Amino acid sequence: MLKKLLGVSCAVIMLGASLASCGVPANTVHSIDDLKGKTIGVQLGTTGDIYAENVEDAKVEKYNKGADAVQALKQGKIDAVLIDSEPAKVFVKENDDLEILDEPFAEEEYAIAIKLDNTALQADINKALSELKADGTLDKIKNNYIGDEAGKSPYKSPEGVDRSKGKLVMATNAEFPPYESKNGDDIVGIDVDMMKAVCDKLGYELTIDDMVFDSIIAAVSSGKADVGVAGMTVTEDRQKNVLFSDPYTTSNQVIIVRKK
Amino acid sequence: MDELIASFRQNFIEQDRWKYLTNGLKTTLIITFFAVLIGFVLGFIVAVIRSTHDKTGKLKIANLICKIYLTVIRGTPMVVQLLITYFVIFGSVNIDKIFVAVMAFGINSGAYVAEIVRSGIMSIDNGQLEAGRSLGLNYRQTMFYIIMPQALKTVLPALANECIVLLKETSVAGYIAVQDLTKGGDIIRSQTYSAFMPLITVAVIYLMMVMILSNLVSRLERRLAKNDRH
Repeated sequence: MLKKLLGVSCAVIMLGASLASCGVPANTVHSIDDLKGKTIGVQLGTTGDIYAENVEDAKVEKYNKGADAVQALKQGKIDAVLIDSEPAKVFVKENDDLEILDEPFAEEEYAIAIKLDNTALQADINKALSELKADGTLDKIKNNYIGDEAGKSPYKSPEGVDRSKGKLVMATNAEFPPYESKNGDDIVGIDVDMMKAVCDKLGYELTIDDMVFDSIIAAVSSGKADVGVAGMTVTEDRQKNVLFSDPYTTSNQVIIVRKK
Repeated sequence: MDELIASFRQNFIEQDRWKYLTNGLKTTLIITFFAVLIGFVLGFIVAVIRSTHDKTGKLKIANLICKIYLTVIRGTPMVVQLLITYFVIFGSVNIDKIFVAVMAFGINSGAYVAEIVRSGIMSIDNGQLEAGRSLGLNYRQTMFYIIMPQALKTVLPALANECIVLLKETSVAGYIAVQDLTKGGDIIRSQTYSAFMPLITVAVIYLMMVMILSNLVSRLERRLAKNDRH
């Protein structure tokens, strides 16, 4: 019984693997204009989702994870994926059959989301951010994840920092490398290191709460989390529900397509 | 109260967001309906094969295949089966996602229906089978004219329950970017960032559908019970 079961499952897996490698349709998206009328994959609730909705006649497939959209693209289920440039670079690096179109779709700025009435925390975070920008810590953190010098300047908390203010809960979606992703049990990335640095400045202890992206703003506005940091772009709709800190980095929305 | 009305307006009226829910409801109903059909057909076939094997010892290979099917389907989570159907089995072909969902949910439901129906068939006393056979009916006739009608009546509530479970289970279809009712609510939530309105509305719609279903079933049961009076 067990042997037969094993045999059958092996056969199914091999059949699946052989099917998966053939029959992917040719790429038809070569520029932004080509997106019209195509099927675009996005991660639900991201700015890519908002932009894709405005593309003429396009069908938008909203996946729970960016990686699922990329997988669907690889299999030819969709024509393009609209996503932030840094995660896109990671996805393309790991999949040699994909590439990023040269023209960026849109430029945007990332900021930290804070509960609407918590202007005190907003002011504190802005002050800490500007200090981190001025002394080069923020650039160091970014360079540790992006570019040729990656992995050479990891952020370390200074010795004996004050943690008297207690916990600061950060809501994030650890599916967005290099800003945040899982490494074993830990969540690592630019946003995490930056928030550690901010907490070190302000006297908090950082706690990270991983959730789906489209729940982050609800978590912040309901007080379940103190801040939402997930490579989040400032948009008008979002500003109705949360406060934003000063932007800490700029990014592009880019289009990923199949090479062939 | 004003806040509630404003929230309602933002979540459903603005930009015609209610369409996400109505279209999602349609998708949910389509998936559930066809999945139930596939599940029932598959379930009945499997149940008949399994109980025939139990009663007569025939159909050894078919029984083995059914057993593997039941073990695999009942031993793995629905979401994983759905993802396997989408990304592995239909990995290279670009077919409609609703079809993928119908297949995944139908095949899943079939395993549960099979065991429900088999329990009904096995609950009928063996004397009935023997009586049928000694009256000159063959095995198949006894099965369909004597055993099945009685078994069906016994398992009807359990089958209805399976439909209800399936209806609610389709809420995971969003994993493969099918825009069903739950996903519709999620999309509204991702645009308005309010949790209360979309989630509660989606919950109420599911609840109403389930209540309608259970009401229909209890009517059917009462109708069938009429025949029991002597």
